[in-house]
Amino acid sequence: MRWTRRRVQTLTTWAIVVVWVVVYAIALANADPLPPLETAVWQLVVPPLLWVVATRLVLRHWWSGPGSQMSATDLPGRLLAVAVAALPERRREWGRAMTAELAEVQGRSARWQFALSSVGAMLWLPPASGWPVLALVAVVVVASAAAAGPAVGAAVPGLRVFAVTFTGLVGAMVVLAVACSRRPRLRLPVPAPTVVVTGGVVASIAVTANFLRREPAAAQHLPPAAAVYLAAVLAGCLWVALAAPRWLGTSRLAPHLGAAAAVVFAAWFWLAVHTDELEPPLPVMLVLAPVLVCAPLAAFFVPAFAAGRVGRSFRSGLQAAVWTVIAMIPLTYALWLPEGLRRHAIDGRLLIDGEVVAPVGMNLADALAFCLGIFPVLGLTLAVIGAGLGAQTSDRAGPDDHAPGVPRASR
Amino acid sequence: MTRSRRPSAQTTAVVLALAERPTAWRYGYQLCQQLGLKPGSLYPILVRLADRDLLETTWDTDVPAGRPPRHLYRLTGSGRALATELAATAAAPGATATRRSGPKGSPNERWQGA
Repeated sequence: MRWTRRRVQTLTTWAIVVVWVVVYAIALANADPLPPLETAVWQLVVPPLLWVVATRLVLRHWWSGPGSQMSATDLPGRLLAVAVAALPERRREWGRAMTAELAEVQGRSARWQFALSSVGAMLWLPPASGWPVLALVAVVVVASAAAAGPAVGAAVPGLRVFAVTFTGLVGAMVVLAVACSRRPRLRLPVPAPTVVVTGGVVASIAVTANFLRREPAAAQHLPPAAAVYLAAVLAGCLWVALAAPRWLGTSRLAPHLGAAAAVVFAAWFWLAVHTDELEPPLPVMLVLAPVLVCAPLAAFFVPAFAAGRVGRSFRSGLQAAVWTVIAMIPLTYALWLPEGLRRHAIDGRLLIDGEVVAPVGMNLADALAFCLGIFPVLGLTLAVIGAGLGAQTSDRAGPDDHAPGVPRASR
Repeated sequence: MTRSRRPSAQTTAVVLALAERPTAWRYGYQLCQQLGLKPGSLYPILVRLADRDLLETTWDTDVPAGRPPRHLYRLTGSGRALATELAATAAAPGATATRRSGPKGSPNERWQGA
């Protein structure tokens, strides 16, 4: 069967719809009480609609373009191209060498064997700093991760799993940096957005520690799986900000737009929380209402659209989308927990649902669900749509979108 | 335990294959086919040889339209000296002990156990 763009688009559309209907049916079956009918219809229709639109835009840009090799290269070629793109700069020549040799290999089976073996070779290319240095760094990282558990656990018992996981993941990034570069240096091509993300991550860790110190019982809302997830997301944000992959670092405008949008989103969140508490007079509400409704949507859509349009490429828009999300997650999370503590001290209610009197620890579960789940998923979807529309409305496709060799959306 | 500093059997095979026609440029896939090696084995060897200045590389731009330039390999002077040494030790009866160390300052010593 030939995998045409239209066929893949149709297949992914159906996959999204079916999976969401099943997931939502299970959620409704376990819901108590059931949501109102109009809410249920909205939740059933709008999210998959956005995902379908975003996925079709991604596939459209992935597939199209006169220089794109996606339509001309078979799967072994694409696999190898992706692996080559992940190689450090000083080793990429060897990746290109393997790619060029694959072009000479005839026969489907032989091509698969050559591609898979080449990908294996890339994993075992000698590290830039040599194996002994790499092994030493790896030992230090493992020891640090092992020591972080008891050290942090003694001060904040509920943070033990998080500490081990976060230290291990950050250590893995260090190992990767040492493996890729003879003299790893911290390059900050976009200092301001990097500082925003890094500051957000540091603040997130600090507020979590403070929350669990003040409310030790809240540790039940940070089970090991959630702690690992929190550590992975924060470490991921840090990794993108400090050692952004090449395909994320080509546009200087996109990270600034993304970080600024994340700050706007965090400001919107703070404003929404305080507006809900203060219940301002009607004229003020009439002014604030459109801002409160439109700001979160615009915070994701606008920077991606602008970057896609100015950069004349879908990739520029995607870069802004990713920077928006990685800055928004820690900033919003770092606001949520102290605001949750403050709000609960006033009237015993939760931050997200002011009508419910509940244990203060529930704020931690809510922060994880919204800041690390719902906001990024829906926000990224909106941003991808913005990036696609921005690239489409630009005068012409940018040169970035037509560079051969690597699948477009993976570069 | 003393670590052996001689090249592996596969590395020796690659060096000797390249030394068959020392001035000719060779393709990676060609070497894979000749030696029955997978690229997963061949390319790390080529990378180590190049890192130690035993192998020189260049790009073949004279390829059919639409094909990417191919990488070419041949031994450097040091690489040819290593090949000569490896060929001699391989041919010598009871050569194992000699191969383990090699003369001081030789290309074999430069290999450093890769």
